[in-house]
Amino acid sequence: MRTLKTTWLLPLLVLPPLLAALIGPATPASAQEPGAEAIELEDPERAERLFRAHCARCHGVQGLGGEGPELAQLALPRVADRTQLEQIIRDGIDGTGMPGARTTVLDDDAVSLVAGYVLWLGAQTTADASAVTGDAERGHDLFWAAGDCASCHIVAGRGTAVGPELTIIGLRRGAEYLRESLRAPAARLPVARAGSRSGFFEYLPVRIVTHDGDIYNGMRMNEDAFTIQLMTVSGTFVSLRKSEVAEMEKRVGHSLMPVAQDLSEDDIEDLVAYLTTLGRGS
Amino acid sequence: MNKWSRTAAAAAPGVAMALWAAFALGVAFALGVAMAQPATAQVPYERLVAADSEPESWLTYSGNYASHRFSQLDQINDGNVADLRVVWAYQMDEGLIETTPIVADGVMYVTEPPSTVTALDARTGKRLWKWTPQMGTDVLHIGFPEVNRGVAVLDSTVYVGTLDAHLVALDARSGAVRWDVEVADNAIGFALTLAPLALDGTIIVGVSGAEAGVRGFIDAYDAVTGELVWRTYTIPAPGEFGSDTWGGNSWETGGGSTWLTGSYDPELDLLYWPIGNPAPDWNGDLRPGDNLYTDCLVALDPDTGEIVWWFQFTPHDTHDWDANQIQVLVDAEWEGEPRKLVVTANRNAFYYVLDRETGAFLHGTPYSKQTWAEGLDENGRPIVIPGTDPTEEGNLVWPSLQGAANWFSPSYSPRTRLFYQPTRIMGAIYYKAEVEYEPGQPFMGGGEQALRGEEASGAVKALDVLTGELVWEFPLQTPPWAGVMATAGNLVFGGSDEGNIFALDAETGEPLWNFQAGAAVRSGPMSYEIDGQQRIVNSAGGTMFVFGLPEGGGR
Repeated sequence: MRTLKTTWLLPLLVLPPLLAALIGPATPASAQEPGAEAIELEDPERAERLFRAHCARCHGVQGLGGEGPELAQLALPRVADRTQLEQIIRDGIDGTGMPGARTTVLDDDAVSLVAGYVLWLGAQTTADASAVTGDAERGHDLFWAAGDCASCHIVAGRGTAVGPELTIIGLRRGAEYLRESLRAPAARLPVARAGSRSGFFEYLPVRIVTHDGDIYNGMRMNEDAFTIQLMTVSGTFVSLRKSEVAEMEKRVGHSLMPVAQDLSEDDIEDLVAYLTTLGRGS
Repeated sequence: MNKWSRTAAAAAPGVAMALWAAFALGVAFALGVAMAQPATAQVPYERLVAADSEPESWLTYSGNYASHRFSQLDQINDGNVADLRVVWAYQMDEGLIETTPIVADGVMYVTEPPSTVTALDARTGKRLWKWTPQMGTDVLHIGFPEVNRGVAVLDSTVYVGTLDAHLVALDARSGAVRWDVEVADNAIGFALTLAPLALDGTIIVGVSGAEAGVRGFIDAYDAVTGELVWRTYTIPAPGEFGSDTWGGNSWETGGGSTWLTGSYDPELDLLYWPIGNPAPDWNGDLRPGDNLYTDCLVALDPDTGEIVWWFQFTPHDTHDWDANQIQVLVDAEWEGEPRKLVVTANRNAFYYVLDRETGAFLHGTPYSKQTWAEGLDENGRPIVIPGTDPTEEGNLVWPSLQGAANWFSPSYSPRTRLFYQPTRIMGAIYYKAEVEYEPGQPFMGGGEQALRGEEASGAVKALDVLTGELVWEFPLQTPPWAGVMATAGNLVFGGSDEGNIFALDAETGEPLWNFQAGAAVRSGPMSYEIDGQQRIVNSAGGTMFVFGLPEGGGR
């Protein structure tokens, strides 16, 4: 059995950037972060083996989802605490494809190890906060004043919802991810999690021309084979049937968020420092 | 005994049912009620053979023995489908719905998760009876969710396979158990999720469990007594033909499960059954060789279970590409000669045309993105691209482990001569890992991480049935889990993971109707007629929807 570090880092070489999005640098056995819960894996090799044997078929070997939802995230939607996570692993979730780990397959020890591993996967998404060097207070001021970030993001109830809410972004994303989001916002669009087994990009910029000649530039909120829902940059909700659409350009590789060209390296580090505090307390 | 003759035991209930039917009809006429037929199934084998002659019914999982999933009904058609609306709905027990209902003589027999059977009034949706097996809380289902895909009906009995690997015969009138046999031991991973197939006096079933390292088989049971008539293992034991395709003792845990309903040709008297993946799934080092009969289509003698011919789609599979897709029987002219064919769109992303008398490979071509084979050789064996096996570091290959196709049904229209295939266009990074067999434990030896975002998508593809060439495709947002059904109304019905239940023009793929059901569709559509009104059935989330034209609509 290879170490966790080896098995986790090698896939990065072959993964497209989109997939690599949520794989943080792995630290065997623990993730020690200010403000984040430290996850100690009692028996990391066995935990990984159990996860791969029992969970990975639906949730993916790296917990990034597949037929089942993504698990490599902090704040799993149905999980308030570790006890609840263990209960879900033991009993399953009625009405979904999530089976319970019946007693003959996973005993209580194994359930506990798997729960720890799932939490550890989530912790990896923010495992590099120690690399933050900027000035969080200055970052705060940049965010709320000169940067005008709140014109598109909500933090703790303030701001405007065009881009993602950032209230607990410090828990959800690591510093390197945040840095890249400022320098190249389109590099890693998040993939839809809730209610979608396969998932598609959120915040995807779309340009639509209707048969009537109307033009809409916006961010996709949802889509199926017959309809598409957009939020325009000005915040207007638009619902279109595809039969009304003459042209549709999905701008994969683009983001509505402006590239931070006016920001210096110091500015970016300060913003990252501020964002890293969000959800963690400062 | 001539196989067409029936036993005395089988004939006796038939007489009783005929008397009952006559009585029920008498009562109906006496009371002046609208019911014009006995409200219980009375489906002898002869009706199953001639299923195409009564399109108002839906008598087998795929609609007929040839597995066309095609409805001859045309009241709902390309000119009026836009008016289709919900007539009634039925809310099921919690779980994923992958079932196709059977409709016979005014009654719909449908399964609910995990293994419940329910009889509904096909006119109103009102429940007539419901039967739920008593299963412990420790029922194993390793590698798949708690689902059931439907029942078989023969004479006056309804047959269901259960998650704990029993086959149960229920009285069609009441849901009372007539017999209950344990097909295999659930404690080592066997389960039944498929709709059984009723033949002339026997019920054919297959098993799930390859992800637990079972040794798969196909069984035939006496329809009246529940006695096992024959069992054919899908993994040969030492000394049997094909045993040299398994290294060491790997055959004992070789998988080859049989978890999807097969097809039947009454004239050739051959049963066609697709076989699942070898175990462990992703680590082929533990089972050197071609691993017969995994990932094969086998043709069996239905009286003895003897394998008459076999064709292997994916020798020594290391990607979990079961051949458990619907095998569609088509009669066509091939190179100037009339020929009996079996066609299938395989999970490995190739479309195959075989001679169904001999198993001879006639043609094969990719129908979806694939990166593992350069093509097929003259015998249909894939020319595998080196370096596409799973590795410890991970290896990106199309299609994903769920395949370009899976259990969800295709459809064949004799009108358009097109083969309609819901298609998953998705790659995955495949991993290999060490694994040791332990009874009742996962035995897979690796895993995958599927691609997501806009890198994965889906489509309903219409393929020329003889060449596999794309005629049209209707794009879907994400890879689908829902089957399709073509109809004589020039329509193809389907579903999406985004909750659409829809109809397309069968000739062009143009979308004609869409109903947003609010949850993913995971079952195959079917159609029936009652009171002179055509109905379309499909399920989404926890609800089965029955659609029809507005009262007085249609022709």
